[in-house]
Amino acid sequence: MKIIIDGKAYQCEKGEYVLQVARRNNIYIPTLCHSDALSGLGSCRLCVVEVVDRGRAKVVTSCIFPITSEVEVVTNSTKIQKIRKDLLVLLQARCPENEEINKLAKSFGVEEERVNRFKLDKTENCVICGLCVKACEEMGTGAISTIDRGVFKAISTPYGDPSPQCIGCAVCANVCPTNAIPVIDKDGEREIWGKKFKLQKCEECGKEFATEDHVKFAFAKAGVKSEKILCEECRRKSSLDKMKNAFPKVEL
Amino acid sequence: MSKMKTIYICCGTGCIAKNSKIVLAEFNKKLEELGVSANVEGKEEEKATGKMKPTGCNGICEKGPVVKIEPDGITYFKVKAEDVEEIITKTIINGEVIDKLLYFEPSIKKRVRHFKDSEFLKRQHKVALRHIGEVDPTSIEDYIELGGFEALKKAVLQMKPAEVLKEVTDSGLRGRGGAGFPTGRKWNTAASIDTDVKYVVCNGDEGDPGAFMDRSIMESDPYSVVEGMTIGAYTIGGTQGFAYIRDEYGLAIENMQGAINTARERGLLGKNILGTGFSFDIEIVRGGGAFVCGESTALLSSIEGKVGEPRAKYIHTTEVGLWGQPTALNNVETWANIPIIVTKGGSWYGSLGTMEKSKGTKAFSLVGKVKNTGLVEVPMGTTLREIIFDIGGGVLNNRPFKAVQIGGPSGGCLPEDHLDIPVDYESLVKADSMMGSGGMIVMDDRTCIVDVTRYYLNFLAEESCGKCVPCREGVKRMLEIVTDICEGNGREGDIEELLEISTMVRQAALCGLGKSAPNPVIASIRYFRDEFEEHIKNKRCRAGVCKPLTTFIINDEKCKGCSLCKKNCPVNCITGEIKKPHEIDIDKCVRCGNCINMCKFDAVKVK
Repeated sequence: MKIIIDGKAYQCEKGEYVLQVARRNNIYIPTLCHSDALSGLGSCRLCVVEVVDRGRAKVVTSCIFPITSEVEVVTNSTKIQKIRKDLLVLLQARCPENEEINKLAKSFGVEEERVNRFKLDKTENCVICGLCVKACEEMGTGAISTIDRGVFKAISTPYGDPSPQCIGCAVCANVCPTNAIPVIDKDGEREIWGKKFKLQKCEECGKEFATEDHVKFAFAKAGVKSEKILCEECRRKSSLDKMKNAFPKVEL
Repeated sequence: MSKMKTIYICCGTGCIAKNSKIVLAEFNKKLEELGVSANVEGKEEEKATGKMKPTGCNGICEKGPVVKIEPDGITYFKVKAEDVEEIITKTIINGEVIDKLLYFEPSIKKRVRHFKDSEFLKRQHKVALRHIGEVDPTSIEDYIELGGFEALKKAVLQMKPAEVLKEVTDSGLRGRGGAGFPTGRKWNTAASIDTDVKYVVCNGDEGDPGAFMDRSIMESDPYSVVEGMTIGAYTIGGTQGFAYIRDEYGLAIENMQGAINTARERGLLGKNILGTGFSFDIEIVRGGGAFVCGESTALLSSIEGKVGEPRAKYIHTTEVGLWGQPTALNNVETWANIPIIVTKGGSWYGSLGTMEKSKGTKAFSLVGKVKNTGLVEVPMGTTLREIIFDIGGGVLNNRPFKAVQIGGPSGGCLPEDHLDIPVDYESLVKADSMMGSGGMIVMDDRTCIVDVTRYYLNFLAEESCGKCVPCREGVKRMLEIVTDICEGNGREGDIEELLEISTMVRQAALCGLGKSAPNPVIASIRYFRDEFEEHIKNKRCRAGVCKPLTTFIINDEKCKGCSLCKKNCPVNCITGEIKKPHEIDIDKCVRCGNCINMCKFDAVKVK
């Protein structure tokens, strides 16, 4: 089927999300809480667009709005731009010193005096988009979750203690759009969420590439045993070597 | 010997709080001591004259405990244990009426013998609340005696599911939880999906401040809800039901569980209902008391054992609901309406209410600064003025009316010139308020609208799920601004910023709760903008509520020197001789407002 985005027609599959189609066609829609690897959360709301269905326009969240009929989408109307700008005023008021937020706020022309009207906490970097929690859940660890509700909502390990489930994989930090989760790798150790992990050295090149707990977890999950523990690069190299001799040489 | 009299003692939550159980025990004791036999419909123990059981809420909680004596047709209010002996010797034995315990009807300035003769009840039309105060909620016999389970029999034995659906659709019944989605359409979607497992859910997570309709229905008439849900399941092909009740509602959970158990024992619930082969059962899920779990998708998440956060409703829960299955989710009051719609027919229900889109009746809990606090049910389209002044008896202490808050945190405060709008879904939305679940809070001139707005924002700041940015951060910042205004730190441009954020949150929030979260702000500014401006520019709170913006003074001409204010001042800052004008020492005054509340001559003013 086809949909119209900003006046141009595009092909899409039924059930695809508007954001997916837009991104595939290089149409800019800002997001914070979106990751291609994870299902949509719809929490940051920056990706709102207008959808015109049977003559009626409504504001929808493009990352989770499934295309079920041939609708028309407007991604950058004055209304949408205003919503995004107001959202960024609130986000900047929450994380006044965050680089990513500031970049976005600047590009949407957020006025400083609007942000400065509010009490600011300069140490805050988390926008509670929930990507980290989702990633941790998908990882199969579930070491962190959101706690409390309303304005007190936060991301935490259970009771704020080091979580026994945490394997130090730092997938949470990797998906975080605002770099709000500190990961410190130092002297063969990683510290994250108040817990320390031993780092694993690649048995080939010697590079520290993951925590020992993470490696153990990954092998157990995949149900395989490896003779050697290798970093991603060395693993790729070793499988290439194997592939090279997989088939007997054919003389032409 | 004269006919056996029955004494009905209200054991709803309101009356229990006012010691109705002590009154009940006293009745049992005194009846035995005096050797009088009468049925006491209350609670507690077995007695020789009959089984003791509670009756549910009579609606007028403020005047409880309520004692009804039938067949004499006498209703007594505010009954204390000391009154019991007199009631027995005078009324039960001699049939005399004790005047001082009767209801005082303000419109005719007389006491009325039977509560049914009061304006409070005469103007109401009880449909959803039809059994409340009339039956013992723990007795299935009481319920059956009043026609209970006739509707279920009619539905499963004589009607096809499609025929039941037609009646519900024809009735025009819309969701009583607030948003008002047509129940028939909801059920139709769920019924049209061909799958083995479908769910029926009852939303008993009533959370609006001041609202207690659903609580009363579950506490006082649980069988109606059970019967309604069973009919719903039969109609859509539901296999399992869940009643999600907030854990704070202990008595509601107890009575609902009792009703479910008894209905199951009698073959009205469970496997092979009424021998028809139709099976359906209900399980109670106790909610943790998060306001947001009253939102349908959050409620379903919560039943599934996940964090109670809403999701976008681009695919409706009727199609993909609980555990991904089609789900018919309705509010308690909606379910309680179903049996009577099936019995009397959809067109009967549709004849009540407005001619347009709001059919039937709606229950409200009328609270705040109003004379008759309690539960009322009126046909849709009744005006606010009728509800507040005719049924409610007007503003407490005859102070000037200022506003009425409808729709809880998703609604707004409406001013006096809106009192003549009919109460229906569309009119309220047009006025920037909302039907909501039915909380109605009356406010007088001693209520500061800015302070009320702050209260609702504070409620929402704590009770939003916090998932999406507009609702969490938007409410937080609006609260910050409004708090500043209340504390005298409001700035030029604050009203505009409030409106800017409100508009955005309304459009961009994830769920219904978030989208309606700015309503208290938008409605308050729309109707009481001058009060906001007065707070910001003149640093004055005309209601005398925001302490930093309040200065109380005594008007020399009006003050009679009665010294009542002086006696009640906690910091002794009022001076003056008897019969001479008094004076407040502003430097010592803590702005508690005792003086203005006490003064009978309207002499204390806000400067």
